[in-house]
Amino acid sequence: MNIISYPSAVDLSRFGKEQTNPDVLYGLPPEVKFCRKCVISNQRPNSAVEYQHTKETKKKTINFDENGVCDACNFTERKKHSIDWTERDKQLRELCDKFRKPDGSYDCIVPGSGGKDSFYAAHILKNEYGMHPLTVTWAPHIYTQWGWKNFQSWIHAGLDNYLMTPNGRVHRLLTRLSTELLFHPFQAFMFGQKSLAPKMALLFNIPLVFYGENEAEYGNPITDTDTAQRDWAYFSASNQSQVFLGGVSVSDLKEQFGLDQNDLQPYLPADPNQLAEKKVEVHYLGYYLKWHPQSCYYYAVQHGGFQASPERTPGTYSKYNSIDDRIDDFHYYTTGIKFGIGRASYDAAQEIRSGDIEREEGVALVKRFDHEFPERFADEIFHYLSLSEKEFPIASKMFEQPIMDRVYFQLLTDHFRSPHLWYHENGEWKLRHAVWHEKKVAVTP
Amino acid sequence: MRKIRLIARLDVKGPNLIKGVHLEGLRVIGSPSEYAQRYYQQGADELLYMDCVASLYGRNNLSHIVEKSAQNIFVPITVGGGIRSVEDATHLLRCGADKVAVNTAVVANPDLITDIARRFGSQCMVLSIEAKQIAPGRWEVYTDNGRERTGLDVIDWVKKGVSLGAGEILLTSVDREGTRRGFDIPLVKAVTQEVSVPVIASGGMGTPDHLIEVVQNGESDAVAMADILHYQRTTIGEIRRVAESSGIEVRRYESS
Repeated sequence: MNIISYPSAVDLSRFGKEQTNPDVLYGLPPEVKFCRKCVISNQRPNSAVEYQHTKETKKKTINFDENGVCDACNFTERKKHSIDWTERDKQLRELCDKFRKPDGSYDCIVPGSGGKDSFYAAHILKNEYGMHPLTVTWAPHIYTQWGWKNFQSWIHAGLDNYLMTPNGRVHRLLTRLSTELLFHPFQAFMFGQKSLAPKMALLFNIPLVFYGENEAEYGNPITDTDTAQRDWAYFSASNQSQVFLGGVSVSDLKEQFGLDQNDLQPYLPADPNQLAEKKVEVHYLGYYLKWHPQSCYYYAVQHGGFQASPERTPGTYSKYNSIDDRIDDFHYYTTGIKFGIGRASYDAAQEIRSGDIEREEGVALVKRFDHEFPERFADEIFHYLSLSEKEFPIASKMFEQPIMDRVYFQLLTDHFRSPHLWYHENGEWKLRHAVWHEKKVAVTP
Repeated sequence: MRKIRLIARLDVKGPNLIKGVHLEGLRVIGSPSEYAQRYYQQGADELLYMDCVASLYGRNNLSHIVEKSAQNIFVPITVGGGIRSVEDATHLLRCGADKVAVNTAVVANPDLITDIARRFGSQCMVLSIEAKQIAPGRWEVYTDNGRERTGLDVIDWVKKGVSLGAGEILLTSVDREGTRRGFDIPLVKAVTQEVSVPVIASGGMGTPDHLIEVVQNGESDAVAMADILHYQRTTIGEIRRVAESSGIEVRRYESS
């Protein structure tokens, strides 16, 4: 691949307010719609298989039904009304009975950070279902103080843990690449988030893995919720030549960025043949237990002294969700640029579905907080993304400007704005469509 | 000896009574009016309404609730949330509130404390403080329902607030709020030592013993309670009995 050049200024004529047929990036739906029940838009991408994620990837997005209601809201209705949770609980007990070890060894793996959801999952499996979970953690890029504290609280609430912290230099390089090429600074974390637990299952011969809630609770195809097991495509692949990390092929990473196979090992998917041979099963606990993030928070406070963060996260109003990683603020900021959906939209949509806030409040929260620039850790993150020649003698040569600063980041940002979402007026970027622009519409009962 | 006041705290969001943990993860409890009536009947000395989304909407939604309460609840009512001006305070007092509690707006404009105190008297101007511990013996003032930092030191701010005319302090510990682990005694003590106006301790009451502790060791003049009442883990009557039997002076209340 060619050297990555310093980002040019974007052509603002593509972003005129009056533009009648603006370009659409990432294969997003050209017409922006907002769910009539929550505040999510039809631009929300489904969970992707990150190994296949390149610049050219087209996104599949959340489905809206004929009433203008998103699949996530429809699934919530099923959760409330048509799923027999007693039956599901019975199924979970049967699953646990099948795998439970009487000899004192671990019988399931629960991946997580010790945030409210993984706290709940591991603790309830141990204390309510009599399992012997091993918790495994793929470390955040840069821990927040409160994230580290909550991680410790999780362990001290009675759980063993393996913390896998990937090589900082490799992690930084992959994160710079994913930011530069995909505007996705969270990707290196997601590789491990999705594959560490199944790989640990192979390593320790513990064939049962529990993730928390199904991604379909937030918009993946609703049919995904018909099964308790997670699609292997997220964490396994048989052919390394088809794997991309940070949008770059494995061969380019080795030949041009100075990485070797050992550097890449933590990021690579599990081998599906081994998973099949050892009969590894990866289940969603949320299939069996009615998942409610707010209740997980209450549970984690009560059973482990979980602490909300001391301040709200930039871009949202929330203090209890996804608070471990200092780069997380940038994750939501970048998805906001690409898809027009900021963090408050995700948080509010989820809380509206759970019945914790009204839609009107959600709209007000989105208007106030979405797309706020994540100032608090910005300088530290730019430093993290900078690849000095001294630290990265080979990889730094692949960048016209290996140092990332604010100006660089802002120029880069504009390249990832889709003209169908953003317009530029009087020196400012504005959304063409926002949920608070909409007139109040009656919600279908 | 002073009589300790038992205050039922009702945090309100839109049409609902809500409750959080660390002022976060706010959970819908029910109708504020029904709960207010219940606490009045149980013998609460005062009621405290807090509108948690007033700042978000740029308006206070409580006037209707206060008006309704004033008709059939005959104990002092304090109202907080979204009060940004003397006019806002006037409106709520006309609706039947006896005191106003102000946090976010007076952090932005401390003179508002003096303006409200001059107009209605200091006894009416409650300085509401959301305090979060940042080091041993040090607490920072937060606004917007515990979401925004201000950089202000709680003790400095309390002293300033009282010198500007605040007649009472509502002191909420964000760290303890909703946790049922008891009040932040060092915080309460640090504040009561500094000022002579009454201090209401808020945040953390999980058992009646926590009240005894905060009165005896923190020297608070009143306690605000929410979780312990909302989840019906005890009643104000029961708390009053426990307080009395521990030698804490409370108002004698003959239940009807």
